Amino acid sequence: MSQVSSDRDSAAGPMSTFMPQNIDAHPMEFTGSGGEYFRVWIVNVLLSIVTLGIYTPWARRRTAQYFYSHTLVAGSPLEFTAQQRKMVMGFVLLMLITLAYNIAANTGQDAAVGVLLLTGAVLSPLIWGSAMRFRLGVTRWRGLRLQFTAHWKEVYLASWPLFALALVWFGVFFGMQILSPELADVLQEVEDEAANPKMPSFTPAMGALLLLGLVLTVLCFIRLEYNYKSLLVLKAQVGAEKGRWKPVYMDFVKVWLATVAVFVLTVVGFSVLIGVLAGSSIALFAGQSSRMGLWMILVIIVSIIAGIFMLILASAPARAYREARMFQLMWNNIGVSHVARFKCHLKSGSYVGLRVKNMLLTLLTLGLYRPFARVSEYRMKCESVTLHVKGGVEQVAGAMVRQQQGGLGDALADAAGLDLIG
Amino acid sequence: MPAPVNTDLLQGRWFDGQSSRARPVMVSLRPTPQGPSLVLHPLSQPGAEPVMFAWKDVGWPEAWNEHKPQPRVVVDLRDHGSVEIDAVSDWRAALAAAGERPGLAQRMQTRWPVLLGVTAAAVIGLTLFYRYGTPWAATQLTRFVPLGWETSVAENVLQQMDDGTLKPSKLPKERQEQLKARFDALVQQTPTTMHRYPDYRPPLSLEFRSGMGANAFALPGGKVVMTDGIVKAAADKGLPDDALVGVLAHEIGHVVYRHTTRMVVEQGVLNMGLGLALGDVSAVVSTGASVLTGLAYSRSHEREADCYAIALMNHTALPTAPMGKLLLAIAHDEEEEENKKKEQEKAGQDKTAAPKADPGASSPERARQRKTAEEMASHPVWSLLSSHPDTVARASELEKGHAPHCTKN
Repeated sequence: MSQVSSDRDSAAGPMSTFMPQNIDAHPMEFTGSGGEYFRVWIVNVLLSIVTLGIYTPWARRRTAQYFYSHTLVAGSPLEFTAQQRKMVMGFVLLMLITLAYNIAANTGQDAAVGVLLLTGAVLSPLIWGSAMRFRLGVTRWRGLRLQFTAHWKEVYLASWPLFALALVWFGVFFGMQILSPELADVLQEVEDEAANPKMPSFTPAMGALLLLGLVLTVLCFIRLEYNYKSLLVLKAQVGAEKGRWKPVYMDFVKVWLATVAVFVLTVVGFSVLIGVLAGSSIALFAGQSSRMGLWMILVIIVSIIAGIFMLILASAPARAYREARMFQLMWNNIGVSHVARFKCHLKSGSYVGLRVKNMLLTLLTLGLYRPFARVSEYRMKCESVTLHVKGGVEQVAGAMVRQQQGGLGDALADAAGLDLIG
Repeated sequence: MPAPVNTDLLQGRWFDGQSSRARPVMVSLRPTPQGPSLVLHPLSQPGAEPVMFAWKDVGWPEAWNEHKPQPRVVVDLRDHGSVEIDAVSDWRAALAAAGERPGLAQRMQTRWPVLLGVTAAAVIGLTLFYRYGTPWAATQLTRFVPLGWETSVAENVLQQMDDGTLKPSKLPKERQEQLKARFDALVQQTPTTMHRYPDYRPPLSLEFRSGMGANAFALPGGKVVMTDGIVKAAADKGLPDDALVGVLAHEIGHVVYRHTTRMVVEQGVLNMGLGLALGDVSAVVSTGASVLTGLAYSRSHEREADCYAIALMNHTALPTAPMGKLLLAIAHDEEEEENKKKEQEKAGQDKTAAPKADPGASSPERARQRKTAEEMASHPVWSLLSSHPDTVARASELEKGHAPHCTKN
């Protein structure tokens, strides 16, 4: 345990105070099981069905409490202390917003829909911020609450890539019009009347502009992820101890590049496999071309659906790979002031394997395997992390935080697909 | 301080929320009318007074597994921090002794019979709710939807369809006038007793378009659209105009029963309710359930409109048999056509599918679903996937002039 991150000590100046003596290593533990969580989950599903979905905030709380209370950090379980009342209020508010949006969308009130969507886009950093505030604020360990102390202004400043993204596409749009005036005419024509527009010629300059736009988009997204993650760690607090953050932007870019490489490899592998299979089946069908008319359409439809399905399937290893690499990057490079460091020994290969296996089993069981998948993935990630604490876990002093965060942030985050567990 | 009677003292570690330092405490539980209350006896300071926490001031951890308790349990004391207890089995026993009343979720979690009981209740409840509850609620809610909203939706939808697949009608003016006259006569003769919504008086009007094959559909707010194809089909088969009037009566049924508006409400309940309830299982299950139920509602609307047509035709002393013949003939024609030119047909219909799926138009003669109606109907799985009841059964009911499910009218 004593040779903890000696390589990083030399790299980072202030960490030289991180002396090797009296450092305790505490591997994180997860004491839950798939079967047990299946029961938690099926109870949630049943009660949600019986209550027509109104049980959702209770279900979310039970799920979080199951995972938190079975996660031991230095021997002490985490606590999920959200007040049920606030989670319910947040949920009800979200449902009202959704209802308003659905009514507006269904009745063709384009202006109202536009206003709602635009408001959502402008408020999205705020939503993220309040979700993180909720999530950290309701997490307690050894009686101490975590806190997310970022001011909303800091959240908006960190969100600049989002607004840069809008600018990039604005630029691409106008650049296109300058490069190709016919295109502008066509667009105008399309707006005026859907009378067969003639396609304008596509010049290499336009292609380059489009490519530039795409590259900038991806870079913006990576920057956004980097900004949010670093803000989350730097502005997180356990008691009075602040979070530490070491990764740089290029680390994130590298993870993305590696992910793209994995994706290309899987797609190539898949294509070869499908090519072989499809080749043989076409040969099989070639003999009976008389009754092929209707079948051909069916084959085309099936292959389109299969194609979309394959894309999800083929991107799964890449997505799992990215998640694993990101997890390693985070948990190898963050800490709690000078008190604690994390070390992560998650293996990308085995995590990808687990995710692919889980996805296939979930598909085969129409989703019934999902709780088992969730537990096994959570366990693998959780137990790969070791906490190294200097001077014992008893020393962290807390600034008393009394106020509890409202639940709307969580409900909105849930709607946006940010999961409480993971 | 003596330990309270009939409860054991449990060892625990108290974290006061000020620091991560653990303080040794003894925990005991006392039964109160609301439920057990928790008493904390600090051990670190000798002579310190025990602290009492009422039932509602404590976040009681749920029991997840009766046979294999978790290694450590944490009790939430809100602003007073939390208590960690290692002897989880003793803790549960003490809770039970102090009169804990576990919630439904916990009882389902730890007791198989409760879980099975709730499962059975859920299946029955769900069936009843989606079979009777939602349609009833949609019927009632529709009372509050103003006619103006329906009219504006209908205008939007018709505009979209005119821009898309529909073309102006090529029927001669006189023929159009002739059918419009029959339509108006039918509307005039409609008895008010047949209305579910007594105050709902949409201005009923008939329009003609071409495209979309042999078809007719009703828009909310009273507009009924007939295609040249269906007029031609009736003429080709040598059927009297009563067949077309029957179809129009069916469409008027859709209008006066406000099926489109009801479908919007029903689909909303379905998507939201089933999405929330089954969304965590998988998107396939929740979407599948909501599509199948939506189709069942659509079939029941068709039956209702057929009943309305039968009742209205009987009332005006017109025969319903020609309409039944027309339905069968169109289904038959389409099947033949399908066999002849499958490819173009398919492409054309896929295009028409988009505007038709719009909730704004309840089109009863959806060609797509009926392409092989006879074969499909015989198989129960196929009939579940159809927006319309089995054509043969419908046609024979119409030919007889009454149907078993139309008892009310």
